[in-house]
Amino acid sequence: MLASIIASGLAVGAVYALIGITYNTMFATSRVMSFTAGQLGMLGGVFGSLFALRLGLPILPALVLTLACCALIGVVTEIVAVRPVLKSLDQHLYVLTTLAVALLIQHTTAMEWSTEPQPFPRVLDLGSGIWDEKYWLPVVVCILTILSLEYLYRYTLVGRAFVAIAEDNFAARALGLPERNLRIASYALAGAIGALAGFAGGQLLLAFFANGPLLNFYGFIPVALGGLGNNRGAVIGGFLLGLYQQAANFLVGGIFSSVAVFTLFIIVLLAAPQGMFGAQAVRRV
Amino acid sequence: MKITRRTLALGGSSLAAGAALSVPLATPALAQNEPIRIGWLAALTGPSSAPGVGFNRGVLFAAEAINAAGGVKGRRIEIITRDTQGDPTKAVNATQEMISQLRVHAIWGPTNSGESLAVTAIMARAKMPNIHPCVVDSLIDERRYPNAFRITPSNTQWDDAVRSYCLTRVKAKKVAVIGDTTGYGVSAVNASVAAFQRDKAEVVYKANIDATQPDVTPDMLRARNAGAEAIVFWSVSTGLIARLLNTRANMNWDVPFVGHPAMSSGEVGSLVERPSNWEKVYAIGYRSCSYDASGNLPPRTAELVQRLSGKVNLQDTLLWWVASAVDAVQLIAKAVEATNSTAKEAIIEYWNGLKNYPGYYGTYTYSPTQHNGYPTEEVVMSAANSAKNGAFALAPGY
Repeated sequence: MLASIIASGLAVGAVYALIGITYNTMFATSRVMSFTAGQLGMLGGVFGSLFALRLGLPILPALVLTLACCALIGVVTEIVAVRPVLKSLDQHLYVLTTLAVALLIQHTTAMEWSTEPQPFPRVLDLGSGIWDEKYWLPVVVCILTILSLEYLYRYTLVGRAFVAIAEDNFAARALGLPERNLRIASYALAGAIGALAGFAGGQLLLAFFANGPLLNFYGFIPVALGGLGNNRGAVIGGFLLGLYQQAANFLVGGIFSSVAVFTLFIIVLLAAPQGMFGAQAVRRV
Repeated sequence: MKITRRTLALGGSSLAAGAALSVPLATPALAQNEPIRIGWLAALTGPSSAPGVGFNRGVLFAAEAINAAGGVKGRRIEIITRDTQGDPTKAVNATQEMISQLRVHAIWGPTNSGESLAVTAIMARAKMPNIHPCVVDSLIDERRYPNAFRITPSNTQWDDAVRSYCLTRVKAKKVAVIGDTTGYGVSAVNASVAAFQRDKAEVVYKANIDATQPDVTPDMLRARNAGAEAIVFWSVSTGLIARLLNTRANMNWDVPFVGHPAMSSGEVGSLVERPSNWEKVYAIGYRSCSYDASGNLPPRTAELVQRLSGKVNLQDTLLWWVASAVDAVQLIAKAVEATNSTAKEAIIEYWNGLKNYPGYYGTYTYSPTQHNGYPTEEVVMSAANSAKNGAFALAPGY
């Protein structure tokens, strides 16, 4: 039983962590908390099932198409919901616009895809029992993603440009960085990461439109716990959240497990409002 | 303006004239030939729309059949449909519209208990004759809602059928009762556990599992460790059902699942990892829509299926949805025919006097003190994976 809780806890934790990274990626270059992150995760599962099962494509092209579609939706989010409100960030209008886009995505999916959960295909068909692919795939994908992002941000020009925009918008623009294009690129990247989260977690969460708001809530907690903009904190927060949630499901039962999760969340934030790992990354000068 | 006797006299007489002129409009001379307007509150889109779509097929078929045969004493049946999308607010608005503006003679629906809970009081205030297929017990109250009649079994009758199957045919002495975390799941599980305990059976495990919980192994392990010989299940979540059945198979456990009809829905078939995971699952069904051991439907239902073939698709829906909707429209039509009136009180009084009315879906008996008209004996358990043309094979033991 403990093994089962750990396996499923780490797996859903990895999905939450990836959604947290999605939030962070969108926040980093635009300072906007976009509530479409969870919907992108949901679409990762839905598109994956659509391309691989309903349209019968092999798994790799299905994955590529899913990433492409969600990246496109990320870009559309940026144009429609984020760019118009960038001028008045202090009025927090982005809450309204991104939430509206999120609801549009959710209800369109419910109408066009299905209101019942649909099956998600096996990806590699490796493992069984607690070593089943649906448990280790999200964890492996999460670790690979975080390593790739570290590589991107540290060793590639584009990644360092992202970091520059995130650290100091005006200085970056003064240096001639194309802020708007970089922002669009980062939203596309965030869309792809969200899709990856949904695709990797598809066998656990199934292709279900109601995963959208679920991932929105539970994907936000790692962000709050780890500090906004802090990817490593989001990953650790995500895994801890996943383990705690599955343990709570087991110990107090389904009805009260979300009460347990949010109670702990409130307590942690009261104790450490900047998140467990602090808000500002120390900048070397 | 100064109120004088003159203004009073002028105002009063014009008011009286207006009233006199409008009275003939309220009761037109052609009342006896106007169509019989049946309001249909359907959740045709949105979540929980699969039953609505099924019912709709039955409604349209029945109306068309009656009209093709000349209508009810020459009067056409007119179905006025409003898609409530499963939303109680939309259901309330549509009900108000049907009562005040469209002036329907009777209402069939809503199709979901949540919507029905919202509109029952409104219909009662308007004394609107109402038949609906929703199962929540509190929807029927002969004193508070004398206008509301239920065509399906109530949740208590479902629970009785499931419990009786577990105790007498599966012969389980220890049961686990599992539901989801919705309002329905919690109340259904509580009622079920209480009823089992009243029948002196042992409930060894009781759980409410969140429908989105990705892994249900801990819950199934605990049920097995407690010695459950049957699992009673109350939820409409097909994702949760599939997860439980897959986990049962992975544990190599062959405990029977007995309970909610959602276990027999097509979605479960596509979500289980192997078809064999769907074996030994017994979902609530109805004798009228069940195949016996030789693969035959009861004669009356077979006749309905014959009439439906070519006109109504049964492959992707349930036969009892279509059949009950046909019955509902015919109950309204028969009421108008027998009483020669579309007055609300007349329709309600006719329904209150029905004894063993032979419908396709069931044999209904209503009285002024009993508006749950479906006989509990006709609720049976079906083999969940045996769907054929919307009907199921009887579970073993009948």
